[in-house]
Amino acid sequence: MYKPRTLVTAVLILAALAPLAVSASGQAETTTDGPTEIQFWHAFSDAPRSGWIEDRAAEWNAANPDFRVVVERKGSYRETLQAAVLAARQGDAPHLVQLFEVGSQLAVDSGIFKPVGEVGGIPADDYIEPVLNYYTIDDQIYSIPFNSSSPILYYNRDKMAQAGLDPDSPPETFSEVIAMLEQARDAGVDGARIGFNLHSWFFEQWMAEQNAPLVNNSNGRAARATEVNLTSDAAYTIVNWIDELNRRGLYTYTGRLEDWSGSDAIFQQGEAMFHITSTADLGNISSAVEGSFELGTGLLPIPDGVERNGVVIGGASVWLLDGHPTRELEAARDFVLFMTNTENMVSWHKLTGYYPVRNSSVDALEAEGWFDEDPNAYTAFDQLLNTVPNPASAGALMGSFLDTRTIIEEAIQKVLQGTDVQAAMEEAKVLADDRLREYNANL
Amino acid sequence: MTYRPIFRHPIAAAVLLVPTLAVLTAFLYFPAIQSVVLSTYRSNLLLGTRAFVGLENFRAIFFGPQAPAFWQASIQTILFALLVTGPGVAVSMVLATLAARPITGGRFYRIMLIWPFALSPAIAGTIFLFMFNPEVGVVNQVLSALFGIKPRWLDDPALAFVVAVSAAIWKNLGYNIVFYLAALQNVPPSLSEAAEIDGAGGIARFFRITVPMLSPTTFFLVFTNLAYSFFNVFGLIDILTAGGPVGGGIANRTGVTTTLIVKVFRDGFGGSSNMGLAAAQGVVLMTIAVLVTVGQFRLGGRSVHYEGA
Repeated sequence: MYKPRTLVTAVLILAALAPLAVSASGQAETTTDGPTEIQFWHAFSDAPRSGWIEDRAAEWNAANPDFRVVVERKGSYRETLQAAVLAARQGDAPHLVQLFEVGSQLAVDSGIFKPVGEVGGIPADDYIEPVLNYYTIDDQIYSIPFNSSSPILYYNRDKMAQAGLDPDSPPETFSEVIAMLEQARDAGVDGARIGFNLHSWFFEQWMAEQNAPLVNNSNGRAARATEVNLTSDAAYTIVNWIDELNRRGLYTYTGRLEDWSGSDAIFQQGEAMFHITSTADLGNISSAVEGSFELGTGLLPIPDGVERNGVVIGGASVWLLDGHPTRELEAARDFVLFMTNTENMVSWHKLTGYYPVRNSSVDALEAEGWFDEDPNAYTAFDQLLNTVPNPASAGALMGSFLDTRTIIEEAIQKVLQGTDVQAAMEEAKVLADDRLREYNANL
Repeated sequence: MTYRPIFRHPIAAAVLLVPTLAVLTAFLYFPAIQSVVLSTYRSNLLLGTRAFVGLENFRAIFFGPQAPAFWQASIQTILFALLVTGPGVAVSMVLATLAARPITGGRFYRIMLIWPFALSPAIAGTIFLFMFNPEVGVVNQVLSALFGIKPRWLDDPALAFVVAVSAAIWKNLGYNIVFYLAALQNVPPSLSEAAEIDGAGGIARFFRITVPMLSPTTFFLVFTNLAYSFFNVFGLIDILTAGGPVGGGIANRTGVTTTLIVKVFRDGFGGSSNMGLAAAQGVVLMTIAVLVTVGQFRLGGRSVHYEGA
């Protein structure tokens, strides 16, 4: 007799066992006919940037009928890295993955990537040196630079003028920031404050500007890092300045960590005279403040009495995954080199404000007079091209970089709530060292 | 009364239990055992490493540098669970009693009270995020119009905790109310009528009749609400406060809305993906949940009134 219950039971048992069955048969199959697919995973959620990548893929596919680059968005940088690692473990890895700079050590240690140096390399002479330095690990170029940025000062020229300050001379040092803000406040200017979001990235930049490595062993580049330098003089100089700004009522943020858009909004609404954020936001901020006030940009203000050592590039690069036939990896590399060629980097820069990572692209932009038209765009280059290449400006390598960032941000938040700077930083160092030690113990 | 088995053969009962057991094994028992096993390993999700370290992860969370943050998160978890469960169940009972009365549009009220349960945690979190935005949220627009104040709901530690608790209660109201409405159908109106004739007022009838008659449902709901506030609030908190803000005084080791489930996710899937450490904290969370439940059965079980028992 037909029993519905038996059927229900069978379905439920099958449902319970389904995940096991899927993982057993989860090996990817390669298509034999038609162009070979090259999978490219990226992390841009906005239409202009992801659309730009898809356009480049379409152009390259048209010129290379044997291959087809398939572009896919996999969430944030972090989610993209996780997805890539899990896919690689299941033998179903993409060919190309866009990863953020702080994930570099994790990516190398995960063992799923192949240094681009082993797949024909890249024309290293044409890449801007500080950018190339970041992605050179153990003297090996690991990934192909793509979207790079650094922080600059944004300022409200109208408020500067109102305060009796020269709008053409933005502050270049920590003490000048304080002096100018106090002068503005005494002159009765509204929003006589600096507003940068509470992000460890700025702390890292100010360490680099002081030629102070963030981690030991030459910023983790001579040997694996074992200590985070959060109680160095350079570190105290930075947090003491933020503490002083806050005590004098000259600092503002939204209260949330890493709230980029919140701090942009504070500046755009005229609630802050100074703002610090990424060059990649130049396009957005310029258009947002058009009609309300005149925007100025300057170099990242640095601690007093130090020689400007330069900035660490932020952003992302494109990594090749191991485990694919050489022919496919070479095609994948060719595609990324096409995407980041001279003209394409020029158009990428104009679209977003990210640096064009190629020297030839900078020359092309200069030749067409781009920087004369938009002097604000030049600030970023000025800062990057004058960066001294050394371990501090190459950026730190550590597997627990993401933990360290949270720890630094929470320490600064505590200082803003009244905790003593030294106590907060000593505690942060213990926590960051512990996470790093725990991470290194895996290897 | 003699015991009359529903199934003549025990095999029939066993067969019918198989689907439930299969689902529980695949999605509950197996992962729970895996968590306990994982907690004794040093394991990193991104590196794919796995090395046995015994109780090292437990040493780290109880005595290592990360211990203060872990203790704070544990205490916050218990506080959060009690605040979500107690007031949440009480408010649900009052609302269900009011909505169960034969009034015009009663059906509409009942549906409106139940629908928050149909929302995903992420949407519930987003709704509260918009409502309590300090600058543009509707709550502060009303408050600033009426009293000229704009509280910093999401970055003041005390207020952020209250908002997170309120959002968690609101999200689960519908679930509680459905059960109470069903239970109220089974409360014989004769009891209430008799009490009314004896001169008992509405409030007396609520406390003397409704509350005791609903006690089996309350007992069940306290259990499910505790489980909900321990394990199912990650999405809501992650969207609403992201576990922040870091508190002041003794609560300055981690964000005040970082309950253990949030911390487990952060340590395991965020940061440098320390799965062993996350699993150890997950085991502690399971233990807390078991202890609280046992306590509830010991203490609460006695005061439950079963009709006809």
